Amino acid sequence: MSNREINVENLMKQYPGGVTAVNDVSFRVNSGEIFGFLGPNGAGKSTTIKILTTLALPSSGIATVGGYDVVHEADLVRRIAGVALQDIGLDPLMKPMELLSIQAQLFGASRQQAKARAQELVELVRLTEAVDRRVGTYSGGMRRRLDLAMALVHKPAILFLDEPTTGLDPASRRDVWEEVRRLNKELGMTIFLTTQYLEEADELADRIAIIDKGKIAKKGSPAQLKAGVGKESINLAFDTRDMAEKACDQLSDMAERIQTDRDMVRLYMSQAAQTIPAVVNRLQAANLNPISLTLTQPTLDDVFLQVTGQRLTTEEDREKVKVG
Amino acid sequence: MTTQVSVQNTFVMRPKTHDKANLPLQIWLATWRSLTTIFRTPVALFPPLAISIFFLVIYESTLGGAAAFIPNLSGNSYLGFILPLSIVSSSLSGAGIAAQNMVRDIESGYFDKLLLTPISRAALLLGPIFAGALILGIQASIVIGVALLMGLESATGIGGLLLVVGLAILLGTGFAGFTVSAALGSGSAAATQGASFIFFPLTFLTASFVPLELLDGWLKTAATFNPITYVLEAMRATLNSGWDSTLIWQAVGACLLLGGAMFALAIYSLRVRTRRS
Repeated sequence: MSNREINVENLMKQYPGGVTAVNDVSFRVNSGEIFGFLGPNGAGKSTTIKILTTLALPSSGIATVGGYDVVHEADLVRRIAGVALQDIGLDPLMKPMELLSIQAQLFGASRQQAKARAQELVELVRLTEAVDRRVGTYSGGMRRRLDLAMALVHKPAILFLDEPTTGLDPASRRDVWEEVRRLNKELGMTIFLTTQYLEEADELADRIAIIDKGKIAKKGSPAQLKAGVGKESINLAFDTRDMAEKACDQLSDMAERIQTDRDMVRLYMSQAAQTIPAVVNRLQAANLNPISLTLTQPTLDDVFLQVTGQRLTTEEDREKVKVG
Repeated sequence: MTTQVSVQNTFVMRPKTHDKANLPLQIWLATWRSLTTIFRTPVALFPPLAISIFFLVIYESTLGGAAAFIPNLSGNSYLGFILPLSIVSSSLSGAGIAAQNMVRDIESGYFDKLLLTPISRAALLLGPIFAGALILGIQASIVIGVALLMGLESATGIGGLLLVVGLAILLGTGFAGFTVSAALGSGSAAATQGASFIFFPLTFLTASFVPLELLDGWLKTAATFNPITYVLEAMRATLNSGWDSTLIWQAVGACLLLGGAMFALAIYSLRVRTRRS
C-alpha cells in the first residue's frame, strides 16, 4: 500500500509586501482519512491547498503529499494526487468523454484504457445521458461532477477537494457527499476537503482543522471539537445589540460560558433545559424580553464561532445546506 | 501502535515512469484538442479568409491592368504578384488562432487544470500553435484555390504552390509565437486580439503593390528589414518566374529568425505564467 498521508510542518507563506497568508501551520492527515480544512475567507485555506497541490510554493516549512515533497517532487505529487479546485476548469467546447480521455492519456493510459476509464467515470458521476453535449451547455452541478471525475481519472491515492459543493443544489450536494464517502470507504482514498459548509465537514470529516489568520486555531474530530465548546446552549435573540449586551451582564453568572454575537446571546452549560425557567425569570426581572429562545446541541458552527470569533455561514447558508 | 504508524510512513510506492504520456503524445493530444475546438467554432475562421479573398479580388481587379506599365513586372501576371500579399495577410490572421485558443483555456481555467497533470510546458505551447499552423495552411490553400479559379498559372507548378503554402505556414507560425506570448502574458481575449493586429502594418511597410526595386527612401529601408519582404519576393518569383533558391533560402531564413525571436518570447511568457510563486 502506498503512503497516502499529508504532512505539513511549520508551513509559512509570505507574499511580497509582507502579507503572511500561512503562518507556521502544521498538521498531519492520516492515510484513508477525510480531513476537513475550515476557515473564514482570507484565513489561508486557499493558499495552503495551492501549496499542497503544487500550484504555489511555500516561503518556508515542509509539506509532503503521499511522501513526496511538494516543492522538489511536484511532478510525483501531481501523479498521485487528484485535485478539484473551487474554480472549475473545463473547456466548454469539449465533450466530457473527450476531456476525460485526454486527461487519462496524459496520465499514461493507452487510448483504449482512456476510453474505458472515461466511460466508467461518466457513469460514476451520472453524466451518461449528457455525454454527447458540450460542457458549455452543462449546469453548475453537472460541471462540478465532471470536474470531480477529471480529478479521479488517474485513480489518485489522495484527493484534494476545494469547496466541492459550493453553488450546488441540495440534491447535487448530497450526490457529492455520497461519492466522497464511497471513494474514501471503498478505495481508501485520503481526502483533504475545504468547505464553507460546516454541516458538510461534520457529515464527512473524520478530523477537522480550523485555520484563522494564517494559523491553525483548532484541530480534532468533530465530536471532540463540539465537546470542547460545551454540552448544550441556550440561544437568546433580542431586538437590539444593546439589549443583548444587557442580557449578557444579567446572565453572566448562570452559564459556564457566555457569548454575544450582534443581537444574539448564547449561554453554554451542562443542564441547559432545566435552567431555562431561571433564565427567563432573570430576564423578566431586568425587563429584557427576548424575541426568541432556542435550545441547541453544540455544532461546528459554535466551534467556529468560539475559535474565530465569527460565524462561517449565515442563517441563509445554513438553511440551504440542509439536504434530504 | 506507534510502530505500525512508522512502518506505514516509511513505505512509499513511487509512481511508475509510464504514469505519464511521452512528449510526442502530449503534443498530439494538445494539438488534437485545439483542432477540435477550432472546428467547433468555424464562424471564427471565415472573416480572415473572406478578407484575404476580398483583397485578392479587389487588388487584381483594380491594379491587374496596370501590371503592363509597372517596371520589372511587365509580362508577368499581376495575380501571381499580388496573391502572396493576400496569403501573407491570411498568415497574420491565422497567427491569432493559436493565441485565441490559448487565451480561451486561460479564461476557462482549463489551462490551470492542465498544470495539475504531468503535461510538459512544451506541449502546452506547441499544441495550439501546431493546430493554428494547420488551419493557416488550409486557409492559404483556399486562397490559392481562388487565385487558380481567377486564372493564376504557377511558373513552378504544384511544387511552387506547395512552397507558397509552406512559407505561409512558416511565417504565420512565427507570428503565432508573438500572439501566444500576448495571450500568456495578458490572459485576456481583448489584449490578445489587439496584439494580433500589431503586425498588420508590416504588410504595408514592404513591397506590397510594386516590386522592391521601385521603392525609395525610408520605405525601402523599412522593407529591407521587414521579414515579410523576403517571403513576398520568394513567393512572387516562385509563382511568376521559376525556382530561385537564393530568394527561397532568404525567405526561410527570415521566417526562422522571426520565429526564433517570437518563440523565445513565447517560452519566456509561458515560464512566467506557469512559474510557481
